[in-house]
Amino acid sequence: MSSIVTYIGLSLVLFAIGAVGVCIRRNAIVVFMCIEMMLNAVNLAFVAFSKLQGNLDGQVAVFFVMVIAAAESAIGLAVIISVFRSLVSVETSDAAQLKW
Amino acid sequence: MLELGILLIKVIFVLNLALGLASFCTWLERKGSALIQDRVGANRAGAFVESDRWYLKPALPFVRALGWLGVINTLLCDSLKGLWKEDFVPEGASKFLHALAPVIAVLPIMLAFAVLPLAPDFTVAGHTVHPQVAPIDAGILFVLAMGSVAVYGVAIAGWTGNNKFSLLGALRAAAQMISYELPMGLVFVALIVVYGTLDVYTMVEEQQKLLWGFIPAWGIVMQPVGFVVLLLAGMAETKRGPFDLPEAESELVAGYFTEYSGMKFLLFWLGEFAEIALFAVLLALLFFGGWDIPFVELPKGVWWASLIGHAVLMAKVVFFCVLQIVIRWTLPRFRYDQLMNLGWKLLLPISLVNLAITAILKVVL
Amino acid sequence: MTFMGFVFSAIALAAALGVVFNRNPLYSAFSLIVQLLAMAGLYSVLGAHFLAVTQVVVYAGAIMVLVLFVLMLLNLKSESGRKLGIVKPLVALGVGFSVVATVFPAVVAQFKDISLMTLQENLWKSEGGVKAIGQEIYGRYIVQFELSSLVLLIGIVGAIMLSKRKRIVIGPREGGLGGKQ
Repeated sequence: MSSIVTYIGLSLVLFAIGAVGVCIRRNAIVVFMCIEMMLNAVNLAFVAFSKLQGNLDGQVAVFFVMVIAAAESAIGLAVIISVFRSLVSVETSDAAQLKW
Repeated sequence: MLELGILLIKVIFVLNLALGLASFCTWLERKGSALIQDRVGANRAGAFVESDRWYLKPALPFVRALGWLGVINTLLCDSLKGLWKEDFVPEGASKFLHALAPVIAVLPIMLAFAVLPLAPDFTVAGHTVHPQVAPIDAGILFVLAMGSVAVYGVAIAGWTGNNKFSLLGALRAAAQMISYELPMGLVFVALIVVYGTLDVYTMVEEQQKLLWGFIPAWGIVMQPVGFVVLLLAGMAETKRGPFDLPEAESELVAGYFTEYSGMKFLLFWLGEFAEIALFAVLLALLFFGGWDIPFVELPKGVWWASLIGHAVLMAKVVFFCVLQIVIRWTLPRFRYDQLMNLGWKLLLPISLVNLAITAILKVVL
Repeated sequence: MTFMGFVFSAIALAAALGVVFNRNPLYSAFSLIVQLLAMAGLYSVLGAHFLAVTQVVVYAGAIMVLVLFVLMLLNLKSESGRKLGIVKPLVALGVGFSVVATVFPAVVAQFKDISLMTLQENLWKSEGGVKAIGQEIYGRYIVQFELSSLVLLIGIVGAIMLSKRKRIVIGPREGGLGGKQ
């Protein structure tokens, strides 16, 4: 198996683990962390393909993904904190007031 | 194979240097603070040794002198005391995390010494030795990265204390450290703009040039504002000096250290003094020409020139260690909101404007 | 794949499993920190040196500190003992498996003969040194760079507004100085 396939396989497995985490875990912060892990798996795929292509487009994409992830984490955690203030719980199954 | 051997020698040398500087700073803190506070300091342990054995008699005057200076007290007695104290873990805290926190506090500081060069290149038996353990591409950004990782040691230490004082102190310390990373990073960027490289060795080499023939292009000449900002930001980052509210020996019962005793506490202490040494080495390398003696041209590549350069660098490092210790024992500490104000409202805009002016001047001149 | 590549991949996989399957959310956060540092190592092995250092500074050094702050201040216990049942984990595993099973055969079919070393003549261009990445970002991708700074500004303002306790009153108040708070 060539090494690009190994890296893409690793990226896929990490993405799948993150997806499983998002589906299984009920703590909102842990769900957020699994989303970050999925982003990282995609970053790894970008870097591996950038090395395959021989140019730096993939690495620039990873740079921008990191910037967006930073902004998203700040706002996401602020949202979780505001929800916690009224619900006193960060479990996703507790934020069910709009459920019919 | 030979490369590996040279690398191993470099690693051992740098580790010894880091730990030696940290121990030296510990002794300097005790005796220096005593001098500043108009008292004598530790001078009892080992100062009165007597012996009848004939083979020990020649060494006795040296031991007595060292004991009178307080060296035996600080280096031997404190270490043994730390090793033999009872090591307790607070009830309900994780033993693993309690032991991990000092390691995370100390390890990045030791790693950051890897990208700092300690002497100019020299050639020995046809082999060029480059006294920098890891000449990586990112250079000085690695020091910033290690400063970012060191925040976790503080946060985990406060968390495993399992009480509100520790947690409060730890979160304040972590907020302080990440706030002051910003001006520090911006000063590094300004230095990168001025010297055109990220590698610290090349930066020091560039500082040996002369501007207009008579001023050495040292960092403090090219970036005076940057020097002041880095001095303040670095002292806040290492939680030293007037920025030591997280330790706050009189307010938070030693802050995030509260639940630590014995060797783990000494490991935190060692990490703090290693940070002082790291910061002193950074200041000496980036702003004061490293191993450069102004207006003196030493031949390159010769081993004794490297030795002289290393000695000059160590003299500058000792000067900056003394400076940090004197600042710490002279000034009262900041209140927490004053500290955060200084970081965000004063140092960050100043470093941004400094970066802008540096970039404009670099293009114009 | 080099030896260090294997080491970092193994650490990243183990830490990823630790994130998902740890009961205490704080231990999940620590596992994620280890995983992010292992990914930084992988980037370095793949030649993206600037990205490795940026990953440590931004992801492991700032984002995870934020997550750790939130976890420590909220002081959560481990997840309540409500059982998950058998359907949810099965569906989750199905999702994960389908992700891997749909993409991986296509990747293998396309790339199984190409190693990362064949494009020798272009190899130096993909070494992500700081100067090269700087030239790319400030050269071809300058517009995206400016837009991302705008996104960061939005993030800062949004986070501050979302986490204020008092309600923010916009507009003049009745009585007193109009237009001033």
